[in-house]
Amino acid sequence: MPNIGDLVGRLIRLVVDALGESSLRLGPVPTLVILVVPLIVLSLVARPERRWASRDLGALDHVGQAMARAAESGTDAIVSLGSAGLIRATSAAERIQTLAAVAILDRVARAAARAAVPLRVTVNDPILAFLVRGTLARAHRQTETVERSARSTVDFVGDGRPIAAAAALTDARAHGLSITAGGLGEEGLLLVGGMASSSGWSVGGSASPSQLAAPLLETHGTLVGPELFQAVAEAGGAGRARTSVIAANRLILLAVAVMLLGSAAVALGAHDFAAFLVGR
Amino acid sequence: MRRSPVAAAVIVAGLVILLDMMVVNPSLGSVAGSLQELLVLLAAAAALGGTGALAARHLRGVLQPGSDRLGSVVVLVGMGAVLLAGLRPGSNGADDPIVRWLVASLLVPLITALFALLFVFLLGAARRGLALKARESVVMLGAMSVVVIFLLPVGGAPGDWLAAGAGWLRSVPLAGVFRGLLIGVAILAAVSATRVLLGFDRVDE
Repeated sequence: MPNIGDLVGRLIRLVVDALGESSLRLGPVPTLVILVVPLIVLSLVARPERRWASRDLGALDHVGQAMARAAESGTDAIVSLGSAGLIRATSAAERIQTLAAVAILDRVARAAARAAVPLRVTVNDPILAFLVRGTLARAHRQTETVERSARSTVDFVGDGRPIAAAAALTDARAHGLSITAGGLGEEGLLLVGGMASSSGWSVGGSASPSQLAAPLLETHGTLVGPELFQAVAEAGGAGRARTSVIAANRLILLAVAVMLLGSAAVALGAHDFAAFLVGR
Repeated sequence: MRRSPVAAAVIVAGLVILLDMMVVNPSLGSVAGSLQELLVLLAAAAALGGTGALAARHLRGVLQPGSDRLGSVVVLVGMGAVLLAGLRPGSNGADDPIVRWLVASLLVPLITALFALLFVFLLGAARRGLALKARESVVMLGAMSVVVIFLLPVGGAPGDWLAAGAGWLRSVPLAGVFRGLLIGVAILAAVSATRVLLGFDRVDE
């Protein structure tokens, strides 16, 4: 009759056999470096330690005021999470922008729920639509305004980048506030322009370097490049733990120091560390 | 810190995929493969659900007075035409000649027409930018004008000088700005991902 000792023994054998069948794709040292070093560095630099009074990124501090004006004028607020989506055929760098935009939406949705302003979110990715629906429901729960949750809607406008832009351009209604944040492609100017042109107040944000002209020119508040991610820390921490800014500044200083030291070492005839790190 | 079961599942799935990228193991590979197949299935189901939701919304639009009925009818007719062409008996699905004709003769020209608006919208955006944020917009439009001047199709020695200048602009200041942006974006994306994984970005309102 099998007993607990047999079971544990089989489990251990299973693990040992699995380990015996395994091999490392990159070798032990690079794997260890990839796994451990970034985690330790990032966990140290991203740990909340002190308050940070940064500038008002993207004029997001004005969202509450804009919501109040929208409530007075009887208009709604509209949010587009870019055109990259989460499971569409695009790069990971664009997908993570969509996730950052969802965190910003979380803050905007709470402001809309408090001000009783109808909020409409447009997406071009069905998985993202489910995620946004959950975000809106949570915002109403947190602000104890569940009775208003029917006024917050998610519109899947269809798949594809041009569809998102066309939906924004053909929306003839006036909005009190519009926010476009996330990955943008070649249609960025059309999407941001369509969203902002019908709104009393607008925010545009993207970390896609080739599409920064759209938010820079079209919107009142702008989140350009890294600011999109910095704004997430501001939104998540509600002004109390703006640590992403601190963490990023430390990492940027570290990167600059490494570059300067490496350049100096190469200039002095030492080994080329960059070539070593990239395996040349 | 408190985590939801969904967040825990996401972290476990992410770690399995990450480990599979670094470790060669048949069992781990099959688990990672299964997870990716599940993702494909989930995406397909979500696409079907999204299509249904889109059709339902436009059906409501057709029935509701005061809504954009013409737009909703156009969307529904378009969806119906593609579905009919792709799903009719004897059809080759997405490779069917009718589907390919619909895409090549209707969809592609429509998208091209949409992108043709970019030039007009750029001019409109420049005007709007000058009204909203004059200082930043002047700097940006000034830089754009300089680049346009360097790219002018001029012949002879001035043309060679302009072409060399354009090359320098692309490879030094523009490349520098782009690389700076990319480094900043990469660092902050890594920091954001770590904060999410370690639970720093919980809502504290």
